[in-house]
Formats: sequence, structure tokens, C-alpha cells
Amino acid sequence: MTALKSPIKKPNVASQGGLAGFGRQFRTVMARRTEGRALALLLVVGIIAAIFEPLVFTSYSATLGRIALIGLVALGLAAVILMGELDLSVASTLAVAGVVMASIDSLPLGIAAALLVGLVIGVVNAFFVMGFGINSFIATLGMLFFLRGSAFVLSGEEPVRLTNRDAGIAFGKPLIGPLTPRMLLFILAFIILQVFVTRVRIGREFYAVGGNREAALDAGIPVTRRIFTGFMISGFVAALAGVINTLERTAADPTAGSTVLLASFAAAIIGGVLLTGGRGSIFGTLLGATSLGILQVALTLSGVQVDVQNIVIGLVLLIAVITDPNSLRAVAGSARSFLQRRSRSQAGG
Amino acid sequence: MTNNIAVGTPATNNDLLERNNNILDWLSQSGIFVFTFVLILVASVAIDGFASLANITDVFNRAAPIGIVAVGMTFVVISANYLDLSVVAQVATAAVVLIGMSNEYNIIAAFALAMLIAFAYGLVNGLAVGVFKANAVIVTLATTFIGLGLLRWLTGGSIYFGPPESLIRSFGTTKIGPFPLSMLVLIIMALLLSLVLTRTNFGFLVRSYGSNRDATRLAGVNTALVVIGAFMISSFGAMIGGFVLAAFSNTAVSSMSTGYDFEALAAIIVGGTSVFGGRGSVMRTVLGVVFVSVLTNIMVLSGLGFGYQQMAIGSLIVAAVAIDALARKATAL
Repeated sequence: MTALKSPIKKPNVASQGGLAGFGRQFRTVMARRTEGRALALLLVVGIIAAIFEPLVFTSYSATLGRIALIGLVALGLAAVILMGELDLSVASTLAVAGVVMASIDSLPLGIAAALLVGLVIGVVNAFFVMGFGINSFIATLGMLFFLRGSAFVLSGEEPVRLTNRDAGIAFGKPLIGPLTPRMLLFILAFIILQVFVTRVRIGREFYAVGGNREAALDAGIPVTRRIFTGFMISGFVAALAGVINTLERTAADPTAGSTVLLASFAAAIIGGVLLTGGRGSIFGTLLGATSLGILQVALTLSGVQVDVQNIVIGLVLLIAVITDPNSLRAVAGSARSFLQRRSRSQAGG
Repeated sequence: MTNNIAVGTPATNNDLLERNNNILDWLSQSGIFVFTFVLILVASVAIDGFASLANITDVFNRAAPIGIVAVGMTFVVISANYLDLSVVAQVATAAVVLIGMSNEYNIIAAFALAMLIAFAYGLVNGLAVGVFKANAVIVTLATTFIGLGLLRWLTGGSIYFGPPESLIRSFGTTKIGPFPLSMLVLIIMALLLSLVLTRTNFGFLVRSYGSNRDATRLAGVNTALVVIGAFMISSFGAMIGGFVLAAFSNTAVSSMSTGYDFEALAAIIVGGTSVFGGRGSVMRTVLGVVFVSVLTNIMVLSGLGFGYQQMAIGSLIVAAVAIDALARKATAL
């Protein structure tokens, strides 16, 4: 690994053995990881929660449920962000999918329709981005407003009750040990996506598309098709989250998902998924979602208001987005040029 | 245009391309004049009560605060930073501060505090986007949640009522013909900011940064200051918009500015300012505001609720950007 990365400098460092060689190798491996910030946040949040609100870990079913909700949406987002695009419409997709599912009487049909809606939203998003060349931030922002409106219109601006309440109640019960179906689905989604982006060729090409789109095109990667796949994944996963939410609450809320939007972005970004694409990992997203889930549940259990929770998560997102490697490099660069300019003007004067 | 003609392409194809491209370019640049005119014409004929004096005043009352927010936000859009989502939080904060503080203390203290808050918003957004080079959508999404959270937490979500007789109240109710005074504020703001954008060095730098940020930086411009300035102007607009909104309704609550982010964005984009940056005008944003306000007014008069309005404005944003993107693609051929 080391040899591959810097073949010119010292190709034999690793094979020379000894502590220095191992240290260097270790450092190289660590430098490639992107989960550092998520791990740090997880440690801080975990320790503080363990001291002040140990209930977070004893009532782990609530904590795990929260992690699963944030994490599922964040996983889908990560697939899109890896390619340097963004899907702001995930939270409204969640709401619309829930409403669609609850308004259809038959449960299996409803679930199928909701997931289909997610896929279609993904296709439409990708079509605007690739077909028209609209920036994905703006295209999915327009989609966000459109879908939020649709959720209101379809539901008549009030929560829609699920016809089959029993299925919803059964869905909330633990299936294996303490794990409810929601968590099992989340774990399944995590494993599938992790394998997809690390072991499957199409998934690995996501990194190439995000890293350098021109180069990816030249290398023969069907960039357009990959971006369609990415948006379909995020739409599908968001719809799945909507279905799970609706089943657990036995009703679909058209306003669902506004906090989820913020938390899932924070989870993906703090997990090391670079907004410019090409770097990041599904595992980091899991760490990010875990730390944010613990944070939210800890705040709720300590009786902190929703407004203050929003402030805290907003701050986490703000800090996450200004401490990513690109931002820090930009700050270091401008600080350096500022100092140079000053020393030059001092030398001149 | 001449150097765009590829060797070997039949002339007819080129003519077609050029005509097509001209239509798209015209649509994205000047289509708004015709659309607004047609929309108003159709509405006055087809919709009962649209052309009444009371309704026109109502449209102006609604359009003025959104317009003031939009002309300020135009600077952020032109600097190729997508948009400032945090105007929702800023408008509500300014309104609550104006009514709440002038009840408790006096109106001067209210203005001072609101200025300070607007300055802080502009600084935080501008620093994060300009210095840390973070994405403007994510940054302003975060500051929206922080700001609204703070506002709701500190006010406890309560509604502030102004006294029935006050300077703010009389400002909000004074009318010149069908025009409320807030419309005058919008026109002054638009003229002022239009001058800043087209006649000052700073305005030139905003446009230049929007069309090519690397070239602007390499020319020795302190680009961080340009971005901070653009966000400051957006915050200033949001503050004035909040004042006007508070004066009109003489009440203030943290949820009063819901939807201002995308209505302002829709007005800016429909007005022909490009989300790709570098190209745009403050005056056309005003026209865009008229279009969006008339459209929502028609929907309200036809009994279509908030959901339908959001759907319409969401599609409007996507459609306007799609036309702009296609026009760009056509000229880049």
C-alpha cells in the first residue's frame, strides 16, 4: 500500500521492517481514512452521555431506533454525495412516500407504491441534473419544495392514518433479540451499501465519478448511468425510511422529516463524505449517524427542548462543513498568503 | 457566433441551432417581461376580484417584504453561491426584535439590536462560505436551524403584538393610492442596490467572482471580502424585509416568514439572474417578485392552498433554471 502511494520517495520502507516502517505505514493508512471527525464526535458524545445521561445506553432500543432513522437517510445521501452531487429532496421524499403508502388501503401495494415513488423521484432528480445540466443543489431544492407541497396536497394537510394498524404495531416489536425490523432493515441497508461501494465495480466507479468526472468519462465509465443509479439509491432509501416511519407511527405526517434532513446531512458530512465528491465511506456515515443519534436521544432524555436540539445539531452541521479537509486547506492557504503579504509590505515599508 | 460554426455541419442545422439558442436566450433573459404582462392580463380577465383595488393593495403588501429580501439575496446568487436559506430565520428575528424591543424599550434600541443581528448573520455565513469555502446551501441550512432555534427558544414561541397607535403601525397602514409605503421602501432598496451592483467596484467584483472565481482571485482580489459583502447585503435586505413585514401585520412571531427562502429564490431566478453566477440584475428581480406574488395571489383567489403554492413555486424554480441551463448549453456549443 505504501509502496503504491509514493513509489519514488522510499519504496522499501515497509519491508525494511522495524517500528519506523510500521509507524509510517500506519500513518499512511490513517491519512487515507476519512472517519476521523466522526470517531472524535462519537467519543465525545459517547463519554458525555455516559457520564450525564447513562439512560441513553440502558434504553438502547430508543437510541438504536433514532440512529436507524437518521442513518438510513444519511446512507442514501452518501451514495449521491460520493459522486459530488447533492440530494436535498430526501426529507420531502420521506414525507411523500409515507403519505402515498398510508393513502393506499392494501399494505403491500402501499409499500410498493411508496418505494416506486422514491425511485421515480430519484430518476427525475437525475434527469434534471444530467439532462438539463442543472446544478444538483438547485434542482433538488426545487424538488424539495415541490414534494413538500405534494405531501400537503395529497394528505389534505393533516396526518393520514394507516388502514392496517395491526401491521404497524407488529412492525414495532423486536424480531431478533432487541432488534426491531426497522434496525434490521437499517443494518441490511448498511451492509448492502458498504459491499456495493467497496466490492462491486459499479459502486467503486462512484468514487471515480466524484473524484474526477472528466477522467472517469475518458476511462469509459458511463457517468450518466452512475449518477442515475446514485439518485435512485438515495430516493429509494429515503422512501424506505418513510415507509418504516409510517409503519412505526401507524400514520403518515406530511410535515415529517424536517429535522431528519439536517441530522442526516450532518451525519454524512461529519462521517467524512466530502461534498465535492470522490472521498468518504459508508462506515463513516454510520459513525456519524450513531453519534448524532446518541446526541439527539441524550438531549431529549435530559429534557432539552426541540428548539435547543435544533441549535445543537445545526452547530454540529456548521462545524462539520467548515472543518472538512478542503475547508481547512483553504483557510491555511489564505492565512499563509495573508502573512506573506504582511511580511512583504513590512519589508517594503 | 461565427467561430461556433463547426466544419461540415449543414447550414440549415446551424440556422436552426442559432434560432433555437436565440429563443432560449431571450426566454431566460427577457421572457419575464412578457410572462408578467400576460399573467396579469389573464388574471384580470379570468379571475373575479383580481383587479379590485383592495386585492392589488394586498398583492403589494405581500410582495414588498419578499421583494426587499429578494433584491438583497440577488447578490448572493450572482456571486455563484446558490442562495441564502437563512433569510427565513433573519426576517422573523428582525420582525420579533422590532416589535418586541420597541414594546419593552424604544425603537432606536430595536434598530440597533436588529442591525447587530443582521451583521452577525452576514459575518457567520460570509466567513463560512468565503474563508472556509464551505457550501453555501449547507452553511445557510445550518444557520437557519441555529437561528430559528435560538429565536423560538428565547421567545418561547410567543406572538408579539405592537401597540395600536405607534410609529410602526402608522408606517404599515399609510398608503399612497394603492401603494403601501413598504412598496416605496422596496423601490428605494432596489434602486440603491442596483447602483451598488452596476456602478461600484464592489458590485463589479461580485459579478466577476460569480462568473470566474479563480480568475478573480488570481487578479489579486480579496475574494473572502467579496463573499462576506454579498452575504452582508443579503442580511441587510432580510432585516429591512423583516421590519416591513412586522409593520404591515403589527405582530411578530417566529414562524411568520415561512417560505420566504424559496419565494425570494423563485423571484430572483424567474427575473433572469443566473444561478450559475455572474449574470443578473436587481431591477429584474423586482419584476420576478411581481410575477411570483401575482401567481400566488391568483392561487389564493382560486382557493389553492399552501401545498399547491409550494408545488407551483418548486416547479417554477426548476423550469426557470432548466431554461437558463439549456440557453447556456446552446451558447457554449
